[in-house]
Amino acid sequence: METKKDIRSRKPGDSDLKKAGKSFGSLIKGLFIPNRNSGRTVLEEEALQTPAQTIMKNFFRNRLGVLGLIMFVLILAFSFVGSQLRPLDLAFMDTSLRNIRPGTNFLNFPSQLAREGVKQISSGVSFSVALSEKGNLFVWGTEPNFNLPGVLEPVLRVPSEVRNANIVQVAAGDRHILALDSMGRLYGWGQNDHRQAQIPVEVTGLLRGGLQVVRLVGGELYSAVLLSDGTLHVWGATLPTRMETVPAYAQGRIVDLAHNALNMLLILDDGSVMPMGVRGNEFSTQIPEALQHWSLIDEEAGEPTEERELKVVQAAATNRTVLALDNQGNLHLWGSAQYGINRMPGEVLAGGKVKQIAGGRNNLMVLFEDGRVVYWGANHFGQADSARVLEGRNVTRIFSNFYQHFAITENGNILPWGFRGFAVGSDQFGRDNLTRLIHGGRITLTVGAIAVVISTIIALFVGMTSGFFGGFVDNIMMRLTEVVQSIPFLPLAITLSVVIGGRLTESQRIFMIMVILGILGWTGLARLIRAQILLEREKDFVLAARALGVKKANIIIRHIMPNILNLVLVSITLGYAGSLLTESGLSFLGFGVAPPTPSWGNMLTGSQTSAVIRFLWWRWIIPGGAVVFAALSINLVGDALRDAMDPKANEK
Amino acid sequence: MLKFIITRLVSLIPVVFMITLILFTVLKMMPGDQAAMMINPGLRAADRELAYQDAVRRLGLDQPLTTQYFRWIYNSARRDFGWSSSHNRPVREAVREPFRNTILLNFFVIIFQLSITIPIGILCAVRRGSIIDKFFQTASLITFSMPSFFVGLSLIFLIAINLRLLPAGGMPIRIGTTPIEFYISWARHMVLPATTLVIIGLAGTIRYVRNAMLEALGQDYIRTARAKGLSEKVVIYSHAFRNALIPISTIMIWTIFSLFSGAAITETIFAWNGIGKVLVDALNNRDFMLVITLNLFFSGLSLMANFISDITYGFIDPRIKIN
Repeated sequence: METKKDIRSRKPGDSDLKKAGKSFGSLIKGLFIPNRNSGRTVLEEEALQTPAQTIMKNFFRNRLGVLGLIMFVLILAFSFVGSQLRPLDLAFMDTSLRNIRPGTNFLNFPSQLAREGVKQISSGVSFSVALSEKGNLFVWGTEPNFNLPGVLEPVLRVPSEVRNANIVQVAAGDRHILALDSMGRLYGWGQNDHRQAQIPVEVTGLLRGGLQVVRLVGGELYSAVLLSDGTLHVWGATLPTRMETVPAYAQGRIVDLAHNALNMLLILDDGSVMPMGVRGNEFSTQIPEALQHWSLIDEEAGEPTEERELKVVQAAATNRTVLALDNQGNLHLWGSAQYGINRMPGEVLAGGKVKQIAGGRNNLMVLFEDGRVVYWGANHFGQADSARVLEGRNVTRIFSNFYQHFAITENGNILPWGFRGFAVGSDQFGRDNLTRLIHGGRITLTVGAIAVVISTIIALFVGMTSGFFGGFVDNIMMRLTEVVQSIPFLPLAITLSVVIGGRLTESQRIFMIMVILGILGWTGLARLIRAQILLEREKDFVLAARALGVKKANIIIRHIMPNILNLVLVSITLGYAGSLLTESGLSFLGFGVAPPTPSWGNMLTGSQTSAVIRFLWWRWIIPGGAVVFAALSINLVGDALRDAMDPKANEK
Repeated sequence: MLKFIITRLVSLIPVVFMITLILFTVLKMMPGDQAAMMINPGLRAADRELAYQDAVRRLGLDQPLTTQYFRWIYNSARRDFGWSSSHNRPVREAVREPFRNTILLNFFVIIFQLSITIPIGILCAVRRGSIIDKFFQTASLITFSMPSFFVGLSLIFLIAINLRLLPAGGMPIRIGTTPIEFYISWARHMVLPATTLVIIGLAGTIRYVRNAMLEALGQDYIRTARAKGLSEKVVIYSHAFRNALIPISTIMIWTIFSLFSGAAITETIFAWNGIGKVLVDALNNRDFMLVITLNLFFSGLSLMANFISDITYGFIDPRIKIN
């Protein structure tokens, strides 16, 4: 008797079957075209490959199946390799970066600006505005606004009257720009929902009355202007921050200021500082005693008791800290400890004459007279790249707002570093969509996979015991299946998620979703397995095994199981696609993976308003498209697998 | 036949018992104090205690669990489903209008879905392997891979927002409109959610019909019919399709019943005030009597679907006799 191994080791040329199956035409063809299997007959081919090989071969012959497999490998690599390469900071959130459209051109300044020489650069959340030495205005970056006339106007579209004017000073707010021309006229454009881009009549009046503008300030949702009489005028969304109420005793004595979203630090003419804006935060309560305006004032006289030794000459503010430089070259730093900004690095403490200080959103930097720049603070978007970018360059000026930084070297080059932009936009909390998509994919794909594994194990157990033992066991198992099947999936899943989920931590909740999907999703497969076993049980090979005295358990595992494995495999693949869709549906409704942990479903939560659907397309098309892409790839693979395993597919 | 029906009904009893037991367990596991939610928070401390005790007594929460369970079953059987805390009226009244809305929506969805899928499925099976078949196979695979929220949002984006043809969601308002205007507005509001549901359901049904037809077309009696020289039309419609109707009837019944519980996401997106949306809102508002009642209702529906499809099997297929 010829064993299987013998057949396989036998060379095709030895076979007499081969001669029978070969026509004259194919002989000629074979001389010129190398062909793998055209020379073999059906019988021979069957003898030469195991069923698994046949399936593999059939599968790879199906172009759609291979496409699906490639798509799936891509999405796996995207999520799992990507999440290693691009770590996710769950705690990071900056609402000023909310809803920014895809674009990575935040740092791509026009080359003409470098040729003309930089006078001033000011950055908003996703764009920058610059003034060249020749007086030309440049804007670049990604448009943060939409076109709703009067409320939200594109900030990158410079109004014609500004283009024609001789601009001498610019300032970028978060999503608006202010400009001053040589005639003393102020212009504003961009986001205007709090009238921050509209110059108030009283300011226009003061300017007409002969006052000069000392400094333009573009804040977050507010604007301010410091006039030559030492008065500060603030407008825009000032109600929540009380920014409008400039202290009466400071008004008229202000020479400079540093600002962030919530506070301003006013530098007065006597060299002292005074905070304004939101009260009680680190910004205003931790000001060093020696710098405070009231420290040397005699309460009764209301006049300074002695001449101030320390005079603040420059100040820079980050989101929650302030750095101030005094006339003796000392640096003073106070505020929140977040990102370690309140600890000055050794290089700064080591000394050197400070030329300029600057603060971005969550970072501070100091420029020394010798052209070195020392940076410290957060590094979410590569802001800490300064060391690499500025290595060995002699920097003369730095401009820093939000997450974009520009250094000007002594020969006029512009060296940008920091945030380049969101490749696929940002969400309503200013989080990077791409990073969340990568990590969301990791969560969604894992939850779906484990849910399918759980449901398959249950289905195999129930289906096999019930199919093989029959009788009473079968009856019980089938009643159980009927019970689980009768309670509709989606309502029970969301109900259980609310009932159990409230008491769980975030990671337990993710686990709970897997278990819920798993224990509710097994019934269909269990019934299928049972039916298949009932069919297989009656076949001759089982009878033969029984006659040989094989144990019942062995018959199930070694003889019947391989025959239903195909079925299980196809069902696992198609079930996987289904559980991906279910998980994203649950998370979309808010009953699945809970934020801030991302999942493709919960990235879409809050995208149902027509404003989001219309303007912020990247917030729903991209995660939604990812779900479709992943589910489609898995379905393609499952479909091709089913065809490949279909015995009819091998008929010739 | 009667014996078959009775046997089937009897076998349902343990299933119903198990389902109600599971739902009762879920109800008891729900966080929050039902009695505390019922009392007026404005009461003085002493009165509050009294009111609380009263609420406990009225809800029967002081009784042992078995008593509570049977009381719940008894009341549900009498169609008294308890008090909806979020709607502040009996559950039965709270779901009446959403129920009507869902039925109306599903009615159109089913009509469109079946009138589209059955012809296409037959066509694909008859022309197996042709371009038409391949097209619908691939297209159905794509729609099969689309989550309903994505389909819904895309439709809103394309049709409601960009083309401004239809409202993006919500329900029509009766006040200040003539009846005809009201019905037109109703229809306009219903187009998008119905389309979403049809698109979602399309793929599965087309494939199912196609497979059922293929199965029927592969039988010996089809060969016999062809051998007899019958025209292809007669072979397909009166021999093959008649026989394919048995599995198709199952999917039809299941489609009808599963639409009730499966439309939660679509109804939420389009703010269609149906029972799917009521369920989601009730969960968000922790209105547990409403949640459990809806679950009970959905379970009852699917048991009924199961039962009806078994019976129709018996009617359509003479081979399935009392077994």
